[in-house]
Amino acid sequence: MSSYSPSHLRLTAVDTETTVRIELRGDLDYDNADLLLEAATAKLAAHPRLRDLHLGCAELGSIDSTGLSILLMIRRRTDAAEVSLHLEDRTPALDRLLRITGSLEYLTALSTGAVHETSGPGESRADAEEAIPARPTGPDSSA
Amino acid sequence: MVTSTNPATDVDVQGSLWSRAPYPVLIADLQGAVVLVNEAAGALLPAARPGAQMADAVPDWLSSAHAALRIPRQGRVEEPAVWSGHVGDRVYEAHPTVEDSGTVLWWLVDTTDHRLAEEALRRERERTAFLGRASNLLLSSLNLDRCTNVTAQMAAEHLADAAVVVSPVRGNRLPIVTCLRDGSPVVASAVADPASVPGLVEALQGFPPVPTRWVDPRTVPEWVVPEGFGAPGSIVVTPLPGHGVPAGALILLRRADGPGFTPEEEVFARLFAARAGAAMSAARLYADQSAITEVLMRELLPPSLHQVSGVDFAGGYRPSEDHERIGGDFYDVHPAAAEGNPSLVVLGDVCGKGLEAAVLTGKIRNTLHALLPLADDHQRMLGLLNMALLNSHHTRFATLVLASAVREGRSVRMRVTSAGHPPPLVVRATGEVEEADTRGTLIGAIPEVRADSADLFLAPGETCVLYTDGFTEARGGPMGDAMFGEERLRRVLAECAGMPAESIVERVQMVAAQWVGNGRHDDMAVVVVSAPRSHHLSAVNGHTRGRFTA
Repeated sequence: MSSYSPSHLRLTAVDTETTVRIELRGDLDYDNADLLLEAATAKLAAHPRLRDLHLGCAELGSIDSTGLSILLMIRRRTDAAEVSLHLEDRTPALDRLLRITGSLEYLTALSTGAVHETSGPGESRADAEEAIPARPTGPDSSA
Repeated sequence: MVTSTNPATDVDVQGSLWSRAPYPVLIADLQGAVVLVNEAAGALLPAARPGAQMADAVPDWLSSAHAALRIPRQGRVEEPAVWSGHVGDRVYEAHPTVEDSGTVLWWLVDTTDHRLAEEALRRERERTAFLGRASNLLLSSLNLDRCTNVTAQMAAEHLADAAVVVSPVRGNRLPIVTCLRDGSPVVASAVADPASVPGLVEALQGFPPVPTRWVDPRTVPEWVVPEGFGAPGSIVVTPLPGHGVPAGALILLRRADGPGFTPEEEVFARLFAARAGAAMSAARLYADQSAITEVLMRELLPPSLHQVSGVDFAGGYRPSEDHERIGGDFYDVHPAAAEGNPSLVVLGDVCGKGLEAAVLTGKIRNTLHALLPLADDHQRMLGLLNMALLNSHHTRFATLVLASAVREGRSVRMRVTSAGHPPPLVVRATGEVEEADTRGTLIGAIPEVRADSADLFLAPGETCVLYTDGFTEARGGPMGDAMFGEERLRRVLAECAGMPAESIVERVQMVAAQWVGNGRHDDMAVVVVSAPRSHHLSAVNGHTRGRFTA
């Protein structure tokens, strides 16, 4: 478990060999969205066998266009790394932004390159995704 | 220093020892006559021979020291003072040893180098302090005019009698700032050829670095010499080196009746010029950058709208006041190429802020302009725009609405397409507000985009409102932190039913402005497309609004 310490966005990560879950707390906006990109990119680089990257959004504050742009970039990178991206516990505000901008489907679709033999979430359409069993992360109180 | 405790009492006996002493030694008696001069002293003071009077043989400062020393003559002088003065062009200290008899041994020590070192150190300290002050003053603002003025003033104050800062040529004018010592900088521009001052052209090019040039004062043109300066004695042209960009040149002038520039001063002037040049080029780069941003932003300012082919257009744009937060809202109206064809309205919001957003906005507007022949097919336009914007380096995107509008009889037929943008709102004559049924993908970040268009009809007096989320997400209200929101926007629009397009824009802007108060807000852009309500069409020349007679 590691933690990052930005001012308005706090990220808490739980890693296993094939799964990384990053909890987002705070605003994902122009001022600090790049922290998430750095963190996610570092995880992709550090875990060559990574299959799933989960972004826990339950405590996500506001998100602006730059925040969305970062999510799109993360999606681009997870696709390239054949890792499935899961945006979990999305807030109504996030969902609304993704719907209006027409990016919900793209961001939540099953990665084209990631074919799971085991323990895959199956039909990972946008709506099915929330049914993914909770990761053993617990409350993840950040250090 | 000299520690001899047994000064010669018997000159003859010890004379041979004296004569070889490496320092000049001179002995003079009570009467002021020279008694003995050793070799070194003889070389230094050729007139000092035994028997000669001190007053005739040695510089005045030494003979008066001798006189001063022997006149009080009240026993031994406890701590004889040290005198010093010039001998020729060098400086000597004279240390006396006084004997009971009144005879004084003068030990002469050459302190020229020591003095010079001290003087150099003092000057060096002054200069370091000056350079430090210069840096502070120059770097305290990124204002180019101020930097230039400070440079001229400091140079005139410390380096010369007057200074002229010449900035890189603009057209056929040379912007110059002149400053006399103890004067204020004067900004002017000379219509002059920089080639008229030797070395100035090279200095103004900024690269390659050129050395300081001495200029014959008789050859310089009049504009170089500040008014009221008089005849210049020496002139030096020093480049103000920028970071690879020309920062200008510094011309230093000294009056004919004063000293010229020493090589040391010239080096120092260069040190100063390096600092001034760096500060000025930083200021210039900053000014250029903000000018570019400004130009781009202004370029992006929406056109003023009017009636086109029987359809009313009105637009309003309120940029964010937080300059760091300048977003990229924009709108354009492209009138139909031929009567009876639809005009195209584009309203969009670019992700990010500042220069990057401005550049992306410019790209989008240009691309869409080029794609106007395809304006009938929104999907195709958006697909091509997306391809043009997709970039492997970033996922900066834009959301936008395309709206085609054409007059049909008294109504206006519209097709609107949202590409990841809040759908337009339609204000019916009844006051009902509907959301256009269009959805689509944002542009510029996702390889495949899709969009569904909606077809609308506006009856006379009905309106379609395109807006950016700067309105709906504006925070303010009674508690200061509530979002304006779509619901509130709909309510405002409902009250605008039947109003002319321009009035609706004004109304929406006013309510939003009241909502945010003094708070921060993003760009807010709104475009209103209306079907004119009455016969005022015939009274309109297509460029000004007719009088509305509801």
